[in-house]
Amino acid sequence: MEDKRLITLEDISKAYDGVTVLNHINLYIRQKEFVTLLGPSGCGKTTTLRIIGGFERADSGRVIFDGQDISEIPPYRRRVNTVFQKYALFPHLNVKDNIAFGLKIKKMSAAEIQKKVDYMLDLVNLSGFGKRSVESLSGGQQQRIAIARALVNEPEVLLLDEPLGALDLKLRKEMQLELKSMQQRLGITFLYVTHDQEEALTMSDTIVVMQGGNILQIGTPKSIYDEPSNAFVANFIGESNIFSGTMVRDEMVHFCGADFPCVDSGFGEDKPVDVVIRPEDVLLVGEDVGQVTGVIKSVLFKGVHYEMMIDAGHSIWKVHSTTMQPEGSRVGLSVVPFNIHIMHPMQEENKQPQEEDAQ
Amino acid sequence: MKTLKRIYLGLILLFLYIPIVVLIIQSFNAGESRAKWEGFSLIWYGKLFDDPNIMNALWITVSIAVLAALFSTVLGTLAAIGIHAMRKRPQALMLTLNNIPMTMPDIVTGISLMLLFIFTQVERGYVTMLLAHITFDVPYVILSVMPKLQQMNKNSYEAALDLGATPMYALFHVILPEVMPGVITGAMLAFTLSLDDFTISYFTTSPLVQNLSTLIYSQARKGIKPTMNALSALMFVVLLVLLLLVNKRTDSQEK
Repeated sequence: MEDKRLITLEDISKAYDGVTVLNHINLYIRQKEFVTLLGPSGCGKTTTLRIIGGFERADSGRVIFDGQDISEIPPYRRRVNTVFQKYALFPHLNVKDNIAFGLKIKKMSAAEIQKKVDYMLDLVNLSGFGKRSVESLSGGQQQRIAIARALVNEPEVLLLDEPLGALDLKLRKEMQLELKSMQQRLGITFLYVTHDQEEALTMSDTIVVMQGGNILQIGTPKSIYDEPSNAFVANFIGESNIFSGTMVRDEMVHFCGADFPCVDSGFGEDKPVDVVIRPEDVLLVGEDVGQVTGVIKSVLFKGVHYEMMIDAGHSIWKVHSTTMQPEGSRVGLSVVPFNIHIMHPMQEENKQPQEEDAQ
Repeated sequence: MKTLKRIYLGLILLFLYIPIVVLIIQSFNAGESRAKWEGFSLIWYGKLFDDPNIMNALWITVSIAVLAALFSTVLGTLAAIGIHAMRKRPQALMLTLNNIPMTMPDIVTGISLMLLFIFTQVERGYVTMLLAHITFDVPYVILSVMPKLQQMNKNSYEAALDLGATPMYALFHVILPEVMPGVITGAMLAFTLSLDDFTISYFTTSPLVQNLSTLIYSQARKGIKPTMNALSALMFVVLLVLLLLVNKRTDSQEK
């Protein structure tokens, strides 16, 4: 990753039939950076991608590419290429001609095209597939061809619109790693759209969390996971317990009927805040030493850990632990100060309902 | 019950096809009388091809069918692509507008076109008949191409632009190849419809420019000559083959 800003979105807004899809978006993407736009469906992430690709025009704002305003440039003259959600391979062309589509437009010689196509097929592990019809390929293979078809044009930025959405879990994990290593090897800037938080955490240099046409937070995967800026981000990235509380004073917060020492300060005194605690950060201790106590309502085995829902009177805690406590037993709950994360409360309408989803 | 079903079906088919069968048999009758079989002969087929009026009408019919199919296929395909790119509401409106002429009785289409030509003081003849045929063919072409466009991946066109294709290049190298089966079906349908049209042709041409249907009609008023049997039999066979081809294409496309 370099410091040069390759793409800058300036105050981009977009509405369809009076419904706002993007609300004054500002964002920059550095050269060779792997940026992921993450958010639930309808958050505007795909529209942002399509505006950069040139398939949609923003109602206001500018798209700056390498110092130039490209807002009015049609897609076929932009130095970006796209991998579409449903691949969009051309069914009347075979694998080779699909990959060669862009090169033929550039009027390259047949020998040069052959060389580049072979190199690309090799890169996506499909050597020897050139003559096959695209419809005879599996979903994963079609996706690789779509990636090869885009990359062969040597774009400066590759836009990927939920490219792994249609693949099964195992294949998806493999492709995540492959895409990441491809990006690092080729040194191309990737702009990746997904609603899968795990995918975003695994692959990205930078994650942009979006909701309702707004950018909620921009940061590295670690900073977004550890320091979510509000309850929505905390809920969307990983599982979390979110409680309404009050900041008693610096480094002391009150929620769930108890005072907890924490490491945050600067929120003021007696101010309402949201408190995030990751399920894996809650410690199960003896009833007499816990900061709060509760009754275990349910226990689910999740492979590497157990997921327990604990009723602590007025609140439900989700706890991940490698040791199991039997259902119905009373336990103490404790959280070390460092693992308590304090956030400014969200405006009510944006607040996610606190569900006890046992997925 | 089963035999009853068979007999019923047999009767239906018999009533449907017996007039055509009689016509075809009569076309091989050596005698001029329709009441008496005077032996097998190809004499009327021979006379048919010697008749300059009929040959002229045949030329007009075929040339109009080819030209009408050509123009309506180009217009209809482009129109379908345009309609397909519209947003939902205008698209639904355009498709309804497209369907209305197809459900309209031919006689209404024919008379309205005739009135239009009279009103605009265009002399009726070959060109007006061709224009009329293009007009009634276009909706069928649109209807044949539309499903192919809807089956297309909605990102195909954008993918082409993304890879550097201008809109024109994308039209010829991505959209048209993908919808080509529908375009060919549409062209064949247009050709067939144009070939066997009588009503609309009758109202949009002059007595000096006659296609086969209007010629048969005008001759039938003077009493039907056996050459007409031969001509009708030939038209039936040609149209049957064309229709079978169109149906076969539509079937295999649906699979």
